[in-house]
Amino acid sequence: MTAQIEFVDVQKYYGTYHALKSINLTVEKGSFVALVGPSGCGKTTLLRSLAGLEKISGGEIRIVGERMNDVPPRKRDIAMVFQSYALYPHMTVEQNLTYSLRIRGMKKKEARKAAEDVAATTELSHLLKRYPRELSGGQRQRVAMSRAIIRDPKAFLFDEPLSNLDAALRVHMRKEIRTLHERLGATSVYVTHDQIEAMTMADRVVLMKEGRIEQQGAPLELYDRPINRFVAGFIGSPAMNFVPATVGADGQSLVLDLPGNQTLPYPGRLEPSRRVVAGLRPEHLVPASGTDALIRLPLRGAEATGATTFLFTESDPELAVVLNGRNTIKVGEELGLMIDPALIHLFDEKTGERL
Amino acid sequence: MRNGLSTFWDGRGFDLLLVGIPLAFLIAISGSALVYNVVMSFQEVGMFTLGSFVRPFAGLKNYAEVLSDPQTWPILGNTAIFVVGSLSGQFIVGFALALFFGLKFPGSTYLRGLFLVSWVMPGLVTGALWSWLLAGDFGVVNFFLRSLGIINENIFWRSDPAFALWSVVIANIWFGTSFNMILLSVGLASIPEDLYEAASLDGANVFQRFFTITLPMMRSTIGALLSLGLIFTLQQFDLFAALTDGGPNNASNVAQYWAWQLSFREYDFARGATVSVMMIIVVIAAALFYVRSTRHEVRG
Repeated sequence: MTAQIEFVDVQKYYGTYHALKSINLTVEKGSFVALVGPSGCGKTTLLRSLAGLEKISGGEIRIVGERMNDVPPRKRDIAMVFQSYALYPHMTVEQNLTYSLRIRGMKKKEARKAAEDVAATTELSHLLKRYPRELSGGQRQRVAMSRAIIRDPKAFLFDEPLSNLDAALRVHMRKEIRTLHERLGATSVYVTHDQIEAMTMADRVVLMKEGRIEQQGAPLELYDRPINRFVAGFIGSPAMNFVPATVGADGQSLVLDLPGNQTLPYPGRLEPSRRVVAGLRPEHLVPASGTDALIRLPLRGAEATGATTFLFTESDPELAVVLNGRNTIKVGEELGLMIDPALIHLFDEKTGERL
Repeated sequence: MRNGLSTFWDGRGFDLLLVGIPLAFLIAISGSALVYNVVMSFQEVGMFTLGSFVRPFAGLKNYAEVLSDPQTWPILGNTAIFVVGSLSGQFIVGFALALFFGLKFPGSTYLRGLFLVSWVMPGLVTGALWSWLLAGDFGVVNFFLRSLGIINENIFWRSDPAFALWSVVIANIWFGTSFNMILLSVGLASIPEDLYEAASLDGANVFQRFFTITLPMMRSTIGALLSLGLIFTLQQFDLFAALTDGGPNNASNVAQYWAWQLSFREYDFARGATVSVMMIIVVIAAALFYVRSTRHEVRG
């Protein structure tokens, strides 16, 4: 594996606002990297810097080993799919697809052939003579993708390309983009605020916050071993429950700050009576009865979706539980819960770092 | 109880009222004059028949006379030069300024606003200003051209037959540029930024982006602007009155000024009306083109 894209200590300032803080990131050739984070975290700025649409204030961006800092966008050989698609409204689909080829001086006939080839793989063949305004959202999306594919660029950049589509189409396009990526063996950088998109599509997830990379790694790595509370809360849906707790006198149990002496065993060695925050994923909490139940709280509500049921406890903080199947406990009755101690995440109360 | 008046509140009647008032006004003030003008071009009009509507029918005699007049073709030629010269000057300078102010440097919006001063000024004032600037003996324009070594002797802009028409063209370009700039700025601002970004990632340089994105996206704006410009240019009257009075010896005379001269200087209302009718035809064509181009706006 070779590095296709490298960010080395990249800084970006807007006036005094520090938008990107020492970004170091390597994208391997042929990999699919998702930049994810809440809005304003700098993920789009990072993508636009890579495209050359923003000038970075410090550090270095390399594409296939070449320094790109002062190379204009048109010479970076990168294709981008915009959130708005940015299709040329005065051109037909075919003209949209062939624009980059014609700019580079390809003959009309060859360019048309290339457009037809790409359109055949993206199911646009019958739409080549249409204008963007005559297409549906999903079709426009495919034109935007085809316009990128036709160039065979060094990297594909996606800027929240699915956010304008309805939910069903989004799930469909998710798979389609991933399939396309594999078929082309392309290098892709994908910006999204939706952690599900990031988790399902990417080989590598880069989670950003306030201009910094919080954690990067394989999707399940971020899920299994979040390095801090922010990552733990961002990855996974529904979000992780955070319960303040105190380490027991033996250093091997946690007393949760919940009504009634609720204690979880914890197979670590922690300093007794240290204050921590326990992270319990809703899908890891399992209903239990009798002595198996480690946590007992009254049930406040249940939302059944058919396959799974979401339960909420009457407590502060409230605990969310994802239950496979159906719920038999009535609202107000006691809900007993257990959790595999290996699945408990612990974070420092003050810094939020993983313990 | 619903009565006839209530239709004025439920919407439909009120619409009619809103449309009706300006329509009635237009018909009374502009429409009737227009029709009267057309009628007059087919009549024999003398000093003694001016007061009455009923005059001898002349058929196409007035048109035949105008078209066979030796003054006609040079004046129509001047009109064409005036229109093409003014329009292209206003458009090119206006577009350049619009692109320049589109760079959004500090203070650009205020500066752009200041440019509108030329558009706000009465034509006669603009004409008076330019008659000083272009003055043969002491004009600033001559001073600069001499200092730059472009000319050796003063040009008598307003009285030299070779330059008289151009002096009005220059003043009119200055007059109309800011209007062009504002409309083109609006057109430029409505082109989404991400189209330029997509085009630059697609490999287009500045010039390619201008010719493949900016110009085609501005087609309807440009069409509307050019037809409006044609109408305004064919209306331009004050500058001729202030600068050259159509002279010397008709060297800078144009159709609209000539029509006025025929009617109100020579009191040959029939021929004045005839020239006007010929211009009306051109203006209506321009107006139709204007309506068409505003209808065919390309917006994604």
